[in-house]
Amino acid sequence: MASQSDPHGSAFSAAELEFLAEDEMVEIVPNMTMDTLNLICGDFGPFRPQIATQVPLWLAVALKKRGKCTIRPPEWMSVEKLTQVLEAERDSERFFQPLPFHYVEISRLLFDHARDDIPEVYMVRSLIEDIKDVRFHKIGTGLEIISERTHALKLKNLSAMEVNIVRPFVVRALQTFYKLDSPEMIQESDRRANRRPQAPDHGPRRQLRTGR
Amino acid sequence: MAQYYDIDDILAEDELVPAVFQEAANGVGLFDSSDDANKVEQGSKVELPFWLARELHLRQAAAINVPPCYNKKTRDEIEADAAHVDLRNRCPHFYELGHKIAPLVGDRTIGSFLLFAFQTRYKEVLIKAHTAAMAVAAKFLTLLTKEETKLYEAAQSSMAAFKKWRMGGPRFQKAAVLGRKRKPID
Repeated sequence: MASQSDPHGSAFSAAELEFLAEDEMVEIVPNMTMDTLNLICGDFGPFRPQIATQVPLWLAVALKKRGKCTIRPPEWMSVEKLTQVLEAERDSERFFQPLPFHYVEISRLLFDHARDDIPEVYMVRSLIEDIKDVRFHKIGTGLEIISERTHALKLKNLSAMEVNIVRPFVVRALQTFYKLDSPEMIQESDRRANRRPQAPDHGPRRQLRTGR
Repeated sequence: MAQYYDIDDILAEDELVPAVFQEAANGVGLFDSSDDANKVEQGSKVELPFWLARELHLRQAAAINVPPCYNKKTRDEIEADAAHVDLRNRCPHFYELGHKIAPLVGDRTIGSFLLFAFQTRYKEVLIKAHTAAMAVAAKFLTLLTKEETKLYEAAQSSMAAFKKWRMGGPRFQKAAVLGRKRKPID
């Protein structure tokens, strides 16, 4: 999909990702009565006061704006869960914790529209910020190991926003490596002779799993 | 040739490379300003843009020498501290030109040299792109070749777009035609 913000047309814009994230389901507790909504993407409802039901995020936000429901924050958005995730995230240098694919966007939407429905909203917010920063740092250090032998990167549990941010860079870097490493540039025999020893001061090397 | 419409590809082919004429040529005195006779003698050394040098080379009218940006001195510097070598000054299309010229001059080592240079400098670009503030980056940017600058900008712009989104702001963009008042037609 070509986006306005990106001339190369290879990445989504943040707003487009937010749009995609709005299809995720959340639980709401309506305070009005309404029949089932029959939409192309599925049937939602019926809505009865105090009876929880699952709806897409965009519908939840729309109802919330009109004061017709309260949104139940998803399970992963509680302080305990997030603290656990943050700790695990800090502990392992290599792996990413499983979070919803759109966690950045969902949390932002909920913070914008349903602050009063999230218990301890400030705490939750700063936890998510921290998690995000830790993960970004990890991605940055992980990308340092791209080399001419990297043909693909496997990044498990990366979220949509994170992938999207590094995409233009990674694609370009891999393309350049591919071009410079083409067989006409480097013969197989030179390849071994010119492999230089790694600088010793890099500390422990982080391995993103690299496919050959 | 593959990227006929790529402006950077065209610019890269415009870099000057040293070449030696294998045959005398008439009517091209502009390459050799010391000669009034409007001809180039056999064996005279001239600097030609790469696109011309390649064609002459393929017709065996001229031999291409390795440009100074791939010489021993640069290689030593790259090997010592790749990240702080001012490659833009030497050749703004360092990788592109190297990629094109390597098969012609028959120097096998250029390929692995380019790869090594990019591999080490790439890390620097990566670190700077995601962390450094604009003010710090300005100095560093002058060292980068065109290819590296593009890489840097790709990373920088996606990060900036994300930060902008996170800060919030108007969610809906108004179309330019809306809200404009119509002028009465006289």
